[in-house]
Amino acid sequence: MSDLTTVGKKITKRDAPLKVTGGALYIQDMKIPGMLYGGILYGQYAHAKILKLDTTRAERLPGVMAVITAADVPNDFRFGIMKDNPPLKGGRVRSTRDEIAAVAAVSAEIAAAALELIEVEYEELPGIFDPLEAMKEGAPLVHEEMKSNILKMPWKLVCGDVEAAKKESAYVVSDTFRTQWVTHCCLGTSGCIAVFDTGNNLTMYSNTQIPSLAQNDYIEALAAFGLKGRRVRIIQCTIGGGFGSKLDTYAYEYIAILLAMKTRKPVKFIFSREEEFFATSPRQCSITKISQGCDKDGRLTFREVEMVLDNGAYTSWGATTPSVMMMPISSLYKVPNIKYVAQCVYTNNTYSQAMRGYGNPQATFAIESSLDQLAEKAGLDPYELRFRNANEPGELTPQNFQITSCGMKECMAEVVKRLDWKGKKGNGNGRGVGMASLIHVGGGARVYKSDGCGTIIKMDDRGKVDVMTGATEIGQGSETVIAQIVAEVLGVNIDDINVINNDTDVCPWDVGAHASRTTFVAGNSALGAAQKIREKMLAVAAQNMGEAPASMDIKNGVVFSMQDKEKSMPLSKVLRKVHYSPGGKMFTAEHFYDPPNENFNKEFKGNLSVSYAYGVHGVEVEVDRETGQVKILNYIAAHDVGKAINPMLLEGQIYGGGLMGIGYALGETMIYEKGHLKNGNFLDYKMPTAKDVPPVQAVIVETDEQAGPFGAKGIGEPGLVPTAPAIANAIYDAVGVRIRDLPITPEKVLRALQEKAQADTGRSGA
Amino acid sequence: MKREITFKLNNEERKVEVDPGWTLLYVLREVLELTGTKEGCGYGECGACTVIIDGRSVNSCLYPILEAEGRAVTTIEGLRAASGELHPLQRAFVNEGAVQCGFCTAGMIMSAKALIDENEKPTEDDIKDNIAGNLCRCTGYVQIIDAIKTAAGGGRT
Amino acid sequence: MTRFEYHKPHTIKEAIGLMESLENAKFIAGGTDVMVLIKRKKIAPAHLISLRNINDFSSIDIGDGLQIGGGVTHSDIVANEFIQKRYSALTDAAGKVGSRQIRNVATVSGNICNAAPSADTACPLLVLDADVKIAGPKGERQIPLDDFFLGAGRVDLGPGEVVTGFHLPPFGLNTGSAYIKHTRRQAMDLPMVGIAVRVTIRIGGSEIGCKDAFCTIDSISNILRRLEDEELRCEDVRIAMGVVAPRPVRTRKAEAALRGKVISEALFEEIAEIAAAEAQPRDSIRGEAWYRREMVKVLTKRAILISVDRVLRPDDMI
Repeated sequence: MSDLTTVGKKITKRDAPLKVTGGALYIQDMKIPGMLYGGILYGQYAHAKILKLDTTRAERLPGVMAVITAADVPNDFRFGIMKDNPPLKGGRVRSTRDEIAAVAAVSAEIAAAALELIEVEYEELPGIFDPLEAMKEGAPLVHEEMKSNILKMPWKLVCGDVEAAKKESAYVVSDTFRTQWVTHCCLGTSGCIAVFDTGNNLTMYSNTQIPSLAQNDYIEALAAFGLKGRRVRIIQCTIGGGFGSKLDTYAYEYIAILLAMKTRKPVKFIFSREEEFFATSPRQCSITKISQGCDKDGRLTFREVEMVLDNGAYTSWGATTPSVMMMPISSLYKVPNIKYVAQCVYTNNTYSQAMRGYGNPQATFAIESSLDQLAEKAGLDPYELRFRNANEPGELTPQNFQITSCGMKECMAEVVKRLDWKGKKGNGNGRGVGMASLIHVGGGARVYKSDGCGTIIKMDDRGKVDVMTGATEIGQGSETVIAQIVAEVLGVNIDDINVINNDTDVCPWDVGAHASRTTFVAGNSALGAAQKIREKMLAVAAQNMGEAPASMDIKNGVVFSMQDKEKSMPLSKVLRKVHYSPGGKMFTAEHFYDPPNENFNKEFKGNLSVSYAYGVHGVEVEVDRETGQVKILNYIAAHDVGKAINPMLLEGQIYGGGLMGIGYALGETMIYEKGHLKNGNFLDYKMPTAKDVPPVQAVIVETDEQAGPFGAKGIGEPGLVPTAPAIANAIYDAVGVRIRDLPITPEKVLRALQEKAQADTGRSGA
Repeated sequence: MKREITFKLNNEERKVEVDPGWTLLYVLREVLELTGTKEGCGYGECGACTVIIDGRSVNSCLYPILEAEGRAVTTIEGLRAASGELHPLQRAFVNEGAVQCGFCTAGMIMSAKALIDENEKPTEDDIKDNIAGNLCRCTGYVQIIDAIKTAAGGGRT
Repeated sequence: MTRFEYHKPHTIKEAIGLMESLENAKFIAGGTDVMVLIKRKKIAPAHLISLRNINDFSSIDIGDGLQIGGGVTHSDIVANEFIQKRYSALTDAAGKVGSRQIRNVATVSGNICNAAPSADTACPLLVLDADVKIAGPKGERQIPLDDFFLGAGRVDLGPGEVVTGFHLPPFGLNTGSAYIKHTRRQAMDLPMVGIAVRVTIRIGGSEIGCKDAFCTIDSISNILRRLEDEELRCEDVRIAMGVVAPRPVRTRKAEAALRGKVISEALFEEIAEIAAAEAQPRDSIRGEAWYRREMVKVLTKRAILISVDRVLRPDDMI
């Protein structure tokens, strides 16, 4: 591996030159001749009956080409995993983001004006906004046809015997932790353009991070709309951020399709920033009861977790995050006995979706905060407790995860060293240190029937390589990583590689940019295709030079014999020779890689991923006892990545994830009052700015994952998973208060400090 | 009522017919089709639309087009040398990994350019202060700050 | 896209004339508030009268104190070294408004005319005894800033009147000022609470200057303790609070309790308690009332300490 030429190197991002010159085209920048502009009218209430909906005045406005309502949605079409979400809602609204009418007009201005002419009368109904209230008997039903607000998704994992383990534990802690609604804040807002051809085939210009699944969703919709069997092509524009927000299809996409069908013209939707805040689906809030125990030597004995998740009014991937939460609950550290139950509950809030980490940050906040409590009870340094129970290679976890490579202990050692853990721990001077670990899928995640990705490679006469991959570039750098892998295998310069990754007519199937799977799965797919084409080229070159293929190699675009370096030929010459000979041929290869991971069985057990990514974050904070403000003095993020294919891009994932995690920990929250979002703008939603960046070190630990391309594992999501508990633990070390609900605002810290002071006084007085 | 105005755009005199209600951003993107400048929020809260007017960074989404009359406006499209060579900041953003999704990039680079044009040796605090109005969700800003340091510290060759 | 006509007068007289003759007109300076209000459909003026092209409107003049023109932006303030030294609270505030892009166009007069309780420059100008200069159809007038603020979002501007600038009196070297903006983020934020303080100190017999002891990195608290015997006396003081009332307000009880007294950190704590009691903060999504009141207490003390520090250890002495 030491003589790698491209992999492992700091290669600049392939699309960066286009982006720094303003040349990259995002959905915002796209125009199609004759295109119309769409707009959506949302309900005014979190829960209400629609008594009257009159679109006549809007229809009469010059420039308006179509106005549609629920009545225009054929066959009661609904989307989402539970098929509970109509693109336009009729009769009743169940959340403030409910779409009740939509227009298409010749300009965005006219579309906006038309929406104001639609007359609606409502009868407000009592809403339910607290999932715990919504679970009670007699609570108003969000969906009246269902008997309960609790979703029929019985998430339950049981490993070993928790009750017996509790009795045998020397120390047990129990507590409840809460997390908040947060949103992706992609800088590029959502949008699409729906275009039909004369044969009623749909082309969708899209931001999606799941092209193949979105294609499937649209095909289903077309069937419901009377266009069964028509083709759907998805062309992805440059995507202005994903983070999970584009992991599901949204109502506006189906509305665009309906309007394009009705008008026979292309219809474009672009969300305003307000819409992006309230009408895309955030990370759900959670309430987690957790108990953990250990024996007298500090070995973990059990972990018991009960969770309630706010699903919102409709169902998207938010309801399935428990499948990922199970991973840290069952397998973060060695814990023999596990019990986990989660319930997702309908409310009249916005509905939840996937966001970077997919439930893992919520679960890890509870686990890692609670672990510090356990360490204190057991009289152990929190690091010591973690180290004694750290995961190791070769482990089979209670949920049947087969741990292959695992650098948890190495990461921990880096954190302890770089933070000066022993020198800074427990000084009680307003400064403190905390740590938290993570486990995440690092080798795909079999949450769908297939976890695969295809690659097609073709080579031209001049040695240039076209790589068609299913993998989506959402800014993370998959295009570059795939180019590096192919360049390495083919022995060509990276500038000779062209990656095509944005057109379902050309690119093979892929389950999507999620689960930190792209480098691993799409990387392995590209690796396989590249190896196939390499073999073909070597065979031909060897034949031409009178050598055995096994003795041939390619470097810098030249094929040569390893025995006799004199025997060499530029790759381009080999390619032309084959092409322009009688019966000539050109080289292509394809490879579909579907990782050998497992879907969960009925008990939610199975090896979800081929490999698992680990990491440990350590943080030093200073707490202002008078204001409750928390300042991060030093932040260490150590990650076991298997192998860094591109250290620069990898560090970018860690820095970006880390700051997103800091926002989650200390400031970001969507403030909902009775279902209405109160801070849907960048001024009041406190996403970190450049001035909020603390001193941060990204530490890469390489463990050479055998199943990974060149040893790599995924790193897209892990950066934000352990951030919040690491900070919460550091605050506890600094000033002795435990904040159990995110975000950790100055108000909460100050209140806790005041309560602690009172309690301390009371204690000393007694 | 439409009015014709003249201003200098990327070192070139431009005559444009505008509606007084338009913002500079609207004219750049919709009339002149210079789509490198992005709209991230429309309210001056994200900085994606940053351009340089008479040497200072400005949110073009809040800038009434008629104020551009007679002024010099520089957008991301105007940064490259006539030879096509990237501006040192653009090069540094590429080389330091300061670009991910890229939606904030144009505005970020314009803020950075206004800074290093007025202050050749900015400190890290100067840099943070001058790009704090440019939100980025992908990078965590670290490599962006590195890139600006590189470009300012002798990156100009 | 909204529709309005846009006018670019070159003199104040012309601007006022336009305002008198046009229906539904509004002045616009940097536009960072007016354009947002228009885009959010909070206002729909038919005419905007720009103040950006008024001749000689953006000057900062020293002499008889400080004259700040109506077109002076926050960036202009930040770049002015004299203001930084002699009117530090104003620099503190101007440098923390919005972002660099906003500061580059947003004017101080615009910030004041909005009369938002959260306007950052309001508190510093209050404690620096600023007068507001106003021109209108009936001529020019000048009033104390404290009288200019009438209530929530309301200011003393008649029809056709426009703020043409500010006058701040001169202060001696024994005066220091500071503004603390308490925010959730380090930038791009409105204050949860803003506190501005100006103190003038009479130093019993001894000269102010860079004594060795002062020029250390020691905390101001320790230096004050060391100087206990010198009987440093507060000759004059102003304390103003933002976001704790419908408009930026001075806390006169706290000021009175400090004026004329020998200063000490313990006394500042008492003053801070009085200020907190005078504050009338409310709950909002941007902050809870109890916390805001608590912060008035903490930040008042801190702002006084910084102001005193700036007298005892001016930057150019270290």
